[in-house]
Amino acid sequence: MWCSGPILDRTTMVPMPGNKKTAVPPAVNDFIVLPLQYPATPSYTQTATHHLYLRANAPKVPTDDTPREVFLVNVPIDATETHIRSLFADQLGGARIERVDFEGARVGKGITAPVAPSRGKKRKRSQIENGEDAGKEVGLLPDVWDRELHRSGGTAVVTFVDKASADLALREARRAIREKRNIIWGAGIEGKLPPLGSARYLAHHKLSYPDHATLQNSVDEFMTAFAAQEAAKAKALARQHSVPDADGFITVTRGARVGLARDEDVKMKEEDLRKREKSKVNEDFYRFQNRERRKAEAGKLVKGFEEDRRRVEEMRRRRGKIRPD
Amino acid sequence: MSPTNGLAYTTGASRSNMFRLQVDELLQQIRPRRGKREDAAEKALHALKAALDESTAKPALSIDEAERELLRNKIAIPFPQPRPPDDAKYKLEFAKPANVNVVGSYAMQTISRSRDDLVIDMTVAMPSSLFHEKDYLNYRYFYKRAYYLACLASTLREAATPCNVRFDDFHGDPLKPILVISKSVKSIVSEELKPSPKWRINIIPCTDSVVFPAEKLTSEKNCVRPTHNAKPEPTPFYNSSLRADMLMLSYLRLLHGAETSCAAFKDACLLGSTWLRQRGFGSHIAGGGFGHFEWATFVALLLQGGGPNGKSILSEGYSSYQLFKGTLQVLAVRDLGKQPIVVGSGTFKSVANGSPMLWDSARVHNVLYKVAPWGYARLRQDAKTTIAMLGDQLFDGFDATFVLRTDDALMRFDCVVSVPASALTVVDDGRPAYRTLYDVLSRGLGDRVSQISIRPPESGAWDVDSSRPRDHVQASVIIGLIYDPDTVNRTVDHGPSAESKAEAASFRKFWGEKAEMRRFKDGSILESLVWGASGKTIVEQIVRYLLERHFSDRVEREATFFGGGFNRLLRGSLSVSAFQPIMDSFKQLETDIRGLDGLPLSIRQIMPASAQLRYATIQPSAGVANGRQSIPADVTIQFEGSVRWPDDLVAIQRTKLAFLLKLSELLQEAHDQPKTRIGLENHEQDIFNQAYLDIMYESGTSFRMRVYHDREQTLLERQMRDKSLAPSAKEAAALGLAAYKRLYLKAPPHTQAVARLCSRYPALSGTIRLLKKWFASHLLANHVGEEVIELMAARIFVQPWPWQTPSSVQTGFLRTLHWLARWDWRTDPLIVDLSGSGELRIPDVDAIKTRFEAWRKLDPSLTRIVLFAASNIDKEGTTWSDGRPQKVVARRMTALAKAACAEVEQNGLQVDPASLFSSPVSDFDFVLHLHPSMTGGKRSKDAARYKNLELAALSDQTLVGFEPTQSLLEELESLYGSALLFFSGSSERPVIAGLWSPQTAPRAWKVNLAYSTIPHKKSKTQEVQAVVNREAMLAEIARVGRDLVGRVEINDR
Repeated sequence: MWCSGPILDRTTMVPMPGNKKTAVPPAVNDFIVLPLQYPATPSYTQTATHHLYLRANAPKVPTDDTPREVFLVNVPIDATETHIRSLFADQLGGARIERVDFEGARVGKGITAPVAPSRGKKRKRSQIENGEDAGKEVGLLPDVWDRELHRSGGTAVVTFVDKASADLALREARRAIREKRNIIWGAGIEGKLPPLGSARYLAHHKLSYPDHATLQNSVDEFMTAFAAQEAAKAKALARQHSVPDADGFITVTRGARVGLARDEDVKMKEEDLRKREKSKVNEDFYRFQNRERRKAEAGKLVKGFEEDRRRVEEMRRRRGKIRPD
Repeated sequence: MSPTNGLAYTTGASRSNMFRLQVDELLQQIRPRRGKREDAAEKALHALKAALDESTAKPALSIDEAERELLRNKIAIPFPQPRPPDDAKYKLEFAKPANVNVVGSYAMQTISRSRDDLVIDMTVAMPSSLFHEKDYLNYRYFYKRAYYLACLASTLREAATPCNVRFDDFHGDPLKPILVISKSVKSIVSEELKPSPKWRINIIPCTDSVVFPAEKLTSEKNCVRPTHNAKPEPTPFYNSSLRADMLMLSYLRLLHGAETSCAAFKDACLLGSTWLRQRGFGSHIAGGGFGHFEWATFVALLLQGGGPNGKSILSEGYSSYQLFKGTLQVLAVRDLGKQPIVVGSGTFKSVANGSPMLWDSARVHNVLYKVAPWGYARLRQDAKTTIAMLGDQLFDGFDATFVLRTDDALMRFDCVVSVPASALTVVDDGRPAYRTLYDVLSRGLGDRVSQISIRPPESGAWDVDSSRPRDHVQASVIIGLIYDPDTVNRTVDHGPSAESKAEAASFRKFWGEKAEMRRFKDGSILESLVWGASGKTIVEQIVRYLLERHFSDRVEREATFFGGGFNRLLRGSLSVSAFQPIMDSFKQLETDIRGLDGLPLSIRQIMPASAQLRYATIQPSAGVANGRQSIPADVTIQFEGSVRWPDDLVAIQRTKLAFLLKLSELLQEAHDQPKTRIGLENHEQDIFNQAYLDIMYESGTSFRMRVYHDREQTLLERQMRDKSLAPSAKEAAALGLAAYKRLYLKAPPHTQAVARLCSRYPALSGTIRLLKKWFASHLLANHVGEEVIELMAARIFVQPWPWQTPSSVQTGFLRTLHWLARWDWRTDPLIVDLSGSGELRIPDVDAIKTRFEAWRKLDPSLTRIVLFAASNIDKEGTTWSDGRPQKVVARRMTALAKAACAEVEQNGLQVDPASLFSSPVSDFDFVLHLHPSMTGGKRSKDAARYKNLELAALSDQTLVGFEPTQSLLEELESLYGSALLFFSGSSERPVIAGLWSPQTAPRAWKVNLAYSTIPHKKSKTQEVQAVVNREAMLAEIARVGRDLVGRVEINDR
């Protein structure tokens, strides 16, 4: 066995605070600091305290729902809606929750069918108005996870049923901190959620291989919608070609895809042209051309030499003197 | 030096500028300089000369008397073996030296400063009056010389010089003892605190060049008369050794002459001796007998002649580098054993025994008399290698020529055997039976090896009052073998045909009972040898058999083989044949798919894109037989172009899915065998590839097929440049483009190129596998991309300088580590010509270097690209290392490689290969010990109890590609981002280790921190600090891992 020494240079590291219990303030800025106790697990046999930060939600652009929302920071990575519901309902005064929006949750699971035309026959509901709608879309691929995890230190917005519930939740949280109540994370919902660990990955593995018929269906739906959308787009463009606006001008728009030269074709043509130009006059035809070429070559050599010298000097600076091993 | 002068100097080629400049720099560093050491040594020299000049003649004594006389002064005469007969008629005499001279590299100012000890040679000429006409016969000269030396020792002792006087053999030649003067031990002890400058003075007795007639001492003459009526055999070594003593001063004059007539001579000698030293050559017989003196003489003689019509081979107008290269060229091109160089006019007769000859007619002497055939073969090979690397236009060979040491046995040889020296008998010529050993091994191993090297033990100095030490009991002869990888494992050797009687008899005599007469398929009846599959390699079997047959049981018993341990670290066969099942399976897949009717588009190509399909996974493709589920090997399929593809990224992904569905359906209809299913991936990015087709054969091999559509690239590039899009969409396009290029554009050609190289170089596959194992064992598997590792290993094969292409896994692996330890990735890109046949041209290399420098300018703190690895098929250099490894990981990689090399250097042959693969996990902040049953690597004993259950699980094809620990690792990495750095042992070590990133240091509290925190307030006035909540994060990790993690270990520091 041999050692290789520390991996990170630790001069910047600061040791963990020794007496953190006493040093934790009840609030940071306008956030309440709610300690949650993590129960011990077989592989990590000690309990740990997690700190969840809460406050009434105050986004830059408030919506109608804002008053009944609570903003959470530093959400545990394995938090689910069930966790949060149970936390407020069973351990913090029983406020009832309408829904929880986690930061970075995949809206529509990331597979948003392109906006289909309103006249598309296959569309089940219109989505033109809000393209990033979270509703069910056409041609979605099946989900491959049974449960989402969240990045460490992430946030969430909890929408309570009404403002009173939101206020109650915050009040209860403050009281719990004052009373130093021991709030246990995930208490009471054991067994209600898909398990983590190998079972989670096995489930994921299984979900990653959906039934072929389902897939075929999804693809068919998607492609039909897509075709319809393309057709609608083409029509809209064609209409724009001929419709004058309020001032009587016709807006110049990109033509149909077929008519438009592709970038790469243009580039190829340009290249061809340049080649043809080049081959017109031989470059060593006139004396001055030869002279200039030679001069340029000599210049290049000198430059190369200077460059090499610089490099050797650099090497010496870096490695010290050249010495055989 | 002005630039134009410099240009003239190097005659144009811009690439040699760097070389030239570095050579100048090197010369400045190694030219001798006067220092304390030199002053001290010269003071001692003067004292010695004074003492020797004072010496007085002694009367002639018989051998017996002489010995007794000197013993009174506590000096034993260092007679060579055999001892002089007691009834000898001649008498031993001593007289004042005819002259005393300082010779050799010190006198010539060509001693390289890099040497540890300053060694000064001083000759003491014995007056010719001491010798009789016939004294060249039967060791008489050497006996008298030994007596003379003993008298010199006695003189020095009487003069009470404050030095330590010992005997030693001159360059390991047991006929010629010398005196070694070094600073006395006492004074070293007194100055313990300040280490005294190290120097050594050799006092070498020599004699006049006309003492004995030169023609009696040519190499075909016999000078040691046999005791019985046997036929006198020539004694070339004895003769030349004696002759060398007579020519000491003559050669001193020759070298001085060369130095004055040729300005660059001294520098050429410095370069030459540096080159020799780095390769372990030296004047000492153990060092091959070709050292500084031989080099200088060689150059000096080539300046005088040696060419056709007596013209000189080198010209006095050459620069030092030209002299150096010219000399190497001669060494490389001309086989001096068959075609000696003759300098000057005169006749000579060579003894055709394969020893090299440089015949100096003027002095009637073979300068290379000490160089044995094996030493010469090694020298020539090294010269050839150096000429090849100096001619390599792509890369700067300076380091490989002058800086790197290549004499480490394990790195140089594929197999090293140590044989006890005492077990080899001594032959008449005064030297042990190395020659026989060499001949026996050469004949026995034949074309299995390309080089056999023998290194005799170095004799040490001994005290003047004791007799010459017998061969040390523990001293051993080191035999180094370099394999020919194509033939080394051949199991049947064909000998001569039974009809050619003489040859067959000689074959039988050589091989004894091992020789068998066999009839072969083509009807020929040949003597042959069959080597079985015992636990030992075939080479070991052969060498052991030969040692036993031609030497003794004892030699065979005590012979130790080194270096095989590296091969045993890999399970199964080391050759590419271990991958045959999956390769065959891939071919089957291609036929199966190409044979399908009814595909909407015809197939353009199916390409392999996985390490399994380029012989490069640690364990060969795992089927059911290997006790774990296989990981599907990536392949890509490309259809012929069609205008009906949609022109939209998302729609393209769905169309690909549709193609795969169709393909799957057709495959299931057409064949019974491969089972197929469609898997989904990249759930969060709909412009990335969404689906793949897993195809599983019953043999246990499986493939993962993705559709390659070339329009994607244009669309991704367009989206990347589209200013109207959100930055996140552009970023997604950039990531998508990188993934697209890796998967479809780079991986398939990389796979083909590496596979081709693996079949060209038999040791490459094993080297890659062992290197990957090394990375995984040190928990770097998830940081350094496997393609980068493959490039590292391939580099050692296509650009092997200063060695030749490795011919075994051990040399390939050790040399890669050696290179890795020295690789300064900050300033040097890794550029590999994967074609192995010069497809990479100078403009390409320049373009790659420019790109590299641009990256370094753009990102000087190395936050994104740390390792830059390019090849002829990937000139971008960042495909496999974008973002990974980080600087801290790369630094650890270098540190580990350095530690491994130090381990090899320190322990030499005794190194335990497994020790290079272990590093303590205490370097990490915490370690997740994974549950053994989950890692898929080694099976625990419990699991083996229910064999039927296990087999049922394994034959469950739905679990193909299921790697829970890998999934856990990926999930943890994405959950904790840059706050935590995870290290995975992959299949080699069931752990995931972690480090807290320095960015988790305490800081002002804010909302968007990427890790769990504890608010921390020291005093009322202070702002609230956010301190990383390690305990809670570890608890979270333990929850996520649940049953996968057996134990979380925390290393406090």
